[in-house]
Amino acid sequence: MKAFFTLIFILISSTTYAKEQAEEIFAQLTPSLYQIKLIDKASGEKSSIGSGFQISSDGIIATNYHVISSYARHPEKYRIEYLDYQGETAQVELISVDVINDLALIKRQVEAEMPFFKLSDKKPIKGEKLFALGNPHDLGMIVVPGTYNGLKKESFNERIHFTGSINSGMSGGPVVNKSERVVGINVATSGNQIGFLVPHDKLVNLFNDYNIKAPADIKQQMAEQLHANQNKLMKALINSTWQNKELDGKALIPIIEVPFIRCWGDSNTDKTDALIKAAIASCSLDENTYLSSHFFTGSIEIQFRYMQARNLSDNKFYHLYQQQISRASAGNRAGKDDVSEYQCHHDLITPDSTANTSKAINNKSVFCTRAYKDFPGLFDVLYLGASVDKNQQALVSHFTLAGVNQENAMAFTGKFMEAVSWK
Amino acid sequence: MEVDIDVVADGQTSLINKTPDFKVPSDKLSIDNGEIIIEEITRNHKLLHRHRLKQNEVSIGRNYQNDIILTDPHICPQHLSISFTQGTWRINDNNSINGTVLEKDNAEKQDAHQQEINDGDVIILGKSQLRILFKDHQVADTIAFSPFESLIDFIRSPMAVFTSIALFMLIAANITYLNQPTEANISQLFVGAFSKSLLFALWPAGVALVSHLTKHDPRILAQLGISFTFFILMWLSDLLEEILAFNSASNSLLGLFITLLTIGLAFSLFWLNSYIGFHVSAKRRIAVAFSITTLLFGGTYLLQYSQKPEFNPHPRYNATIMAPSYLIAPSNNVEAFIKDSNALFEQASKDAQKE
Repeated sequence: MKAFFTLIFILISSTTYAKEQAEEIFAQLTPSLYQIKLIDKASGEKSSIGSGFQISSDGIIATNYHVISSYARHPEKYRIEYLDYQGETAQVELISVDVINDLALIKRQVEAEMPFFKLSDKKPIKGEKLFALGNPHDLGMIVVPGTYNGLKKESFNERIHFTGSINSGMSGGPVVNKSERVVGINVATSGNQIGFLVPHDKLVNLFNDYNIKAPADIKQQMAEQLHANQNKLMKALINSTWQNKELDGKALIPIIEVPFIRCWGDSNTDKTDALIKAAIASCSLDENTYLSSHFFTGSIEIQFRYMQARNLSDNKFYHLYQQQISRASAGNRAGKDDVSEYQCHHDLITPDSTANTSKAINNKSVFCTRAYKDFPGLFDVLYLGASVDKNQQALVSHFTLAGVNQENAMAFTGKFMEAVSWK
Repeated sequence: MEVDIDVVADGQTSLINKTPDFKVPSDKLSIDNGEIIIEEITRNHKLLHRHRLKQNEVSIGRNYQNDIILTDPHICPQHLSISFTQGTWRINDNNSINGTVLEKDNAEKQDAHQQEINDGDVIILGKSQLRILFKDHQVADTIAFSPFESLIDFIRSPMAVFTSIALFMLIAANITYLNQPTEANISQLFVGAFSKSLLFALWPAGVALVSHLTKHDPRILAQLGISFTFFILMWLSDLLEEILAFNSASNSLLGLFITLLTIGLAFSLFWLNSYIGFHVSAKRRIAVAFSITTLLFGGTYLLQYSQKPEFNPHPRYNATIMAPSYLIAPSNNVEAFIKDSNALFEQASKDAQKE
């Protein structure tokens, strides 16, 4: 009985302790928290909102890139304003971005030295209690307690997995530990208490780089970051092991052995009335880079489809097969202002790697590319290979890459084409 | 009074029908031998009636005393008369309400009263037109049968028409069968093919109807035969296009060739439709066939052009694939493909920097 009381006592005291702690943290940090508003110049109304926090005494505020992306892309159309805890509003300027990690630095005018958030110098430990701050749905500043659950599994660009509610509008807000040090920045949610944070070291790097040398031009800075990131990603893909895998026992397809590419499978073997038996393997990179609400880049999709005719004439099989391959589309969203239209080329191709062997495959290959308007040298590419050498069987190999340079795109395409064959 | 007119009118009518040589009590007849051909024509100069009169005075009007009785309400009962004196014909307008106009060969119009008439002149009275011809009027040369005639004779035979429609239905059913993603049902395919052939028969039927309405021989069998033969030829050109697209790398010249072939086929079809259905000059026939072809292809192009979105986020590529038995062209290797694809980057970059 005594033990039972103790247990309850401990439980009560620990919850009240957490509550008090949250209140305390909130009270202390509020003066350095801001709501960040993007104002449409023509209408004078806000077009998007987010959160931000001051990280230096001279007025540098950190937020997400996606909060101020419209300004970064069209500075002539918008202006950025902050709203502080006293209801004061003023314009701020954009000084640096990290488009890959979704971070941005903006600067406000200050008269005297101001309090600011200190960035943590070590990573949190798994299970550690953290507090997310922000202004969800323009409802006012709040604090959300949650738990650090390590880095997101299989990610190319690191994200912290935070168990706690992160809602839109909190983007750009800080996440602090018990000692009020920033360990992450709110960036995304996956619903039901699953939130994602940008690790604080990315912000530390961005801040240090800014202190060494401020970027001359934001667009130029973004282009450099996109180029560097695609180089890192494509080199990792091209230089890693490409494992040959059987698809339905008939075809050989490459599976790239990197943790951040995840694969899924499907088939219609349960549908006995289907005219064509099909097995599909598709792999993709689960993350992409946000450039604006209609323009994403950095995604990768790879898909293979093996098809076998069931009681069909060759002609009919090939007619249905053609319908399957005639509508390939881009893997990322992009609009008229962002990219050119696709340019395509097609030919009949037999890869040398398996030519004159029993594995040899003859493909109708299609290659398409479109160029980025604001970031010269970056392209979206699309490849489609459709086998045309078996009367009753077909193998479709397909991939899309977003935001890569020509050299990497062609190196990947060449390696991919050589790696697909019959078994 | 009415009775009186009737009697006179009867007398006049019988006068026209009989050969007037001796019975007409005219003094002038023995002096001048007038002979004239009067054609009632439409405003488009199409022949309605032709009268051949051997007399020196011809009266024209709406009442029944006239030699030529016209029903046009804008013509007066005794509108005009033409008379033959001293080797020439002259018009005499009887103070008609709407007047009379004489149109010469060179389309020059003038008031007709007391004018001399020449061979080929047209008299306009009310809303009607009369063409005056003399017996020595020059007729056009005889047109020899063209080589098409024997071809058309063959195509319009019921057996040939039946065969071409049956073949068309077979092709239509086959196309539906090939594109159907589910199990195909024979009766369903037949009904589809039948309705498609009915739909396509509207064109030759329409042409035949128009030629019937314009007082030509409809020749429906010939129109059906020729149209369906060409529908089959166009399908063959589609098949050829598919085989070429399948066997060739991106090459705009082949596409142009196929487009020209299709346009050529359509032009030939329209030309033959017009050859069968209408008697017009060769120049006019080419002009008609050319305008229908232009209208059809130009219209289709305009429609496509107007519906084309300002920006297409999807790639447009040629996805034609066919069973291996249609594969004739040799394959390239990956290296060559990469080399060709590299050229696209420059093109895309150029497009991106255009604005």
